[in-house]
Amino acid sequence: MKYERYHIPLKSVPSRIAPVPKFVIIRADNCINCGKCEKSCIYGVHKRSEVDLRKMADPVNNLCKNCFRCIQDCPQRAITMMVGPDYKALGRGLWTSLRIFTVWNEAETGKIPVFGAGYRGLFAGPGYDGMWTDMSEIVRPTRDGIHGREYISTSVDLGSRPAWLEFDKAGQLVTDMPPITELQVPFVIDTTRLRAVTNAMKTGMARAAKHVDSLFFAAPESLPEEAASELNGQFVPVYPEGADVRKIVLPRGARMAALTLGSTWREDAKRFKSMYPQTVLAFRVNAGKDVEKRIVELVKSKVDVAHVLFDEEGMELDSGEPRYAKDSLRAIHKALVAKSVRDQITIIAGGGIAAAEHVPKTLICGADVVTLEKAAVLALECRDCITCSIGSCPANLGDAPADWIENRLTNLMGAWRDQLLEVLGAMGLREVRRLRGELGRAIFFEDVERESFSDIEGGAGNG
Amino acid sequence: MVKDTKACAKDLPEAALVPSEHLRFMNRFTVTRADMCISCGLCASLCPYGVHKRVEGHVRILPPDDRRCIGPSCEVNYFFCVANCPTNSLSVGPSETFASLGDPRWTSEMILATWAMSETGRPLPLDHPGNVGASGGGFDKLHFKLPELKGKVDPSQICTAIDLNRRDSGAKIRIPIPIYGGGMSFGSVSAYTMLARAKAAKRWDTFTCTGEGGYPELLIPYKDHVITQIATGLFGVREESIQRTRIIEFKYAQGAKPGLGGHLLHDKNTPEVARMREAVPYTSLFSPFPFHSVYSVEDHKKHLDWAHAINPKALMSVKVSTPNDVEMVAVGSYYAGAHIVHLDGGYGGTGAAPEIAKKNIAMPIEYAIPKVHKFLAKEGIREQVTLLASGGLRTALDVAKAIALGADGAVIGTADLVALSCVRCGNCESGRGCPRGIATTDPVLEKLTDADWGAERISNLYGAWRLQWCELLARLGMTDISELRGRTDLLVHGNSQPKEASK
Ligand code: SF4
Ligand code: SF4
Ligand code: SF4
Ligand code: SF4
Repeated sequence: MKYERYHIPLKSVPSRIAPVPKFVIIRADNCINCGKCEKSCIYGVHKRSEVDLRKMADPVNNLCKNCFRCIQDCPQRAITMMVGPDYKALGRGLWTSLRIFTVWNEAETGKIPVFGAGYRGLFAGPGYDGMWTDMSEIVRPTRDGIHGREYISTSVDLGSRPAWLEFDKAGQLVTDMPPITELQVPFVIDTTRLRAVTNAMKTGMARAAKHVDSLFFAAPESLPEEAASELNGQFVPVYPEGADVRKIVLPRGARMAALTLGSTWREDAKRFKSMYPQTVLAFRVNAGKDVEKRIVELVKSKVDVAHVLFDEEGMELDSGEPRYAKDSLRAIHKALVAKSVRDQITIIAGGGIAAAEHVPKTLICGADVVTLEKAAVLALECRDCITCSIGSCPANLGDAPADWIENRLTNLMGAWRDQLLEVLGAMGLREVRRLRGELGRAIFFEDVERESFSDIEGGAGNG
Repeated sequence: MVKDTKACAKDLPEAALVPSEHLRFMNRFTVTRADMCISCGLCASLCPYGVHKRVEGHVRILPPDDRRCIGPSCEVNYFFCVANCPTNSLSVGPSETFASLGDPRWTSEMILATWAMSETGRPLPLDHPGNVGASGGGFDKLHFKLPELKGKVDPSQICTAIDLNRRDSGAKIRIPIPIYGGGMSFGSVSAYTMLARAKAAKRWDTFTCTGEGGYPELLIPYKDHVITQIATGLFGVREESIQRTRIIEFKYAQGAKPGLGGHLLHDKNTPEVARMREAVPYTSLFSPFPFHSVYSVEDHKKHLDWAHAINPKALMSVKVSTPNDVEMVAVGSYYAGAHIVHLDGGYGGTGAAPEIAKKNIAMPIEYAIPKVHKFLAKEGIREQVTLLASGGLRTALDVAKAIALGADGAVIGTADLVALSCVRCGNCESGRGCPRGIATTDPVLEKLTDADWGAERISNLYGAWRLQWCELLARLGMTDISELRGRTDLLVHGNSQPKEASK
């Protein structure tokens, strides 16, 4: 058999709309058109006008990289700079302008963001921003770098693994082997909670999921015919709460299906299992108070996968005092470990995954797989407008073609996978499966603040 | 403890004024003059700072030179131009350009303050906003409880020197300020930048470091002040360069990209750089991680022994980043024979690194210092180790805080570059490299930095910092910076600087 190493092919997928400049350069009226700024700027922001060579053209703002050279060199002090108002207005909460901008670039180039100079952001933040991943000074998964000949695996399984196997006297396996499905990356695309989805978006995203050998989650009848037939097993139909399980007809070859947790979930699970014993069964559960107990219950009813839902900010949905996904997932993981049933259920976490670093962090906190939701739409140059409606979309998402969407998302997933490899490489891990629940390989803000600053006045745990 | 304070503050370099026209573009305020202006010239005769100027023979007054304006607080003055203008043409307000400079870690105030110190050598008042960043954590949340200054500070009575070798054997090296320059390779920065740093290091009788790109010949005259780095890629590591140095630094990991090795993107690998690194020009160079010969602490010792055999006189420094078990790594390094344990935290500078690594991998230096300091003390070896911290130490106060947390001294990188006019734009990695001619090897751009000018500015900055430490120590009633080490009781953790000491 020919060995083929898994990798995601990436190519540049240009923007469809005018870029949002991070910086805006303003040339005042006292400019004497001396052309000095053209020489100063090595990025080509300042150019002479093509119609009238005596004049300077308007600055090409989106090329500006904030180096201040033209400003300092202009003999007339005619140039000023400001942070672009559109850029500034972008984003809210966890989804900062920088994060949105980063997703756009990742989707366009497929590359890991690399910059000079050190870290420039805040010291720490809530949720995942309050944790750091560990590294090792000498242990390495491979000796020739993460992109070398050896292979760091990012594949994960969805499904339940029996805690032990039983054999009869004749040596025949008697344990029922539950269905299991393997993905090449620990993320899936979920469109069920998106505000506005076109058919092209569904088709494009579904193809991207297939492309990287992942899964695509959507409401059962919503996938366009053509895309559904291409996808077969990679399409995961998601049924709403109260759906009549008896009436469910799974798409041909469905490897997995998701029901939504409601009052009749126990019977639903039983019925589904008897109808489709070879299909991985997931239940969608809103994270909230005691979610860990509910998931332990799911294990008892032989549900294979729990898809735990958080809100956009990565907070619990059903709770008066919502916890961050970071804390909620840790509680779930610990509860399952305490009951010795951790491997009998797979945890998918969705909501609040806004950047590549959130993938390994979510896994460390105890999830097996994360979902791309809002990030998948941002990859299509969505600006996350509060007034989102396809009609007035500044990114013209309404007419984005499916193949462009497919390529943008493939790039995003490629860039995120490569960043996951960086983190795994630094930790000395050879496969992402080993990252799950590795709480000891992360550094949590609360813990280090206490350890390092408790003897300082006003420090954590002091006075 | 050092007895001879006088001797240790002797013969320190004097500050010289090194202004830079091209750093004068920035001010906190802008002055705008509207079209209604009739060019009467009243403002020019009023403003004593020279913002407004009227040239004889010109019909119109010149555009305001707002770099000199003191801002809206000027309104209390009789000469306030805005109030006096007969046509109400003038307005003064915060500058947008200023707001586009810097980031939460290196605020615009901090960059400007660092430039001012590099220009004049005069210390920044300890309560100036340029001393602390706005990152909301770590050093930016730690403040000294400072009693008011009684009397005057006499810097000649205050010792800021530290020993780099605290073991019983080997060469004794003492540097008059508790900092030296960290590794920045030839390739990531220009030869002129390296030279400027080496010259400043020589002046202050301290050190700078080659980084991992080899040892450019033009640094040889400064060899007593240049640390030779041996990094995982072994680029340009030669017997001569190891033999020539007084300190050998083993770089296991770099804080900004821990566990990832080095990156030099292909554009910056010019023929010059490639020759030094014995590599093919214009290929991307990845220095692998980790050392291929090191699989354990025992291997690590072999490594040091090997360097020791080549140059028995040199001190050994081991540079590591800050994983969970950083204290074990530090102890291991000591037993392997290191004189200096150099912790490099995640938030420090770099020529090029994946963004995901800078923020997320390994802990910030503020946490690692007390962890290691306490652990070494518990092991009973704290007094044999020189513990240096780096990675996100931007100001003299950051250095002092690191020392109060338990380090002996610090290693400085980005601040040197800011002294050379770095604006922290983060473009060092791309294309031709730094557009300001600092972190570049582009033959045209690198000429923007003059090594002598740069050396003066870095030297001024060190001088200003020393005076800041002197004031700090004087206010704390100390005469020697080693008294500050581990004094976490002098710190308070919180959002705002305490107005006065609580005793
Ligand atoms: S350098 Fe200034 S005056 Fe000259 S063309 Fe550019 S903006 Fe105009
Ligand atoms: S600030 Fe720098 S990048 Fe931006 S326009 Fe001016 S010279 Fe070009
Ligand atoms: S506000 Fe004051 S300092 Fe500024 S330009 Fe007017 S008079 Fe001069
Ligand atoms: S590219 Fe920007 S951040 Fe890098 S050294 Fe130059 S000025 Fe500083």
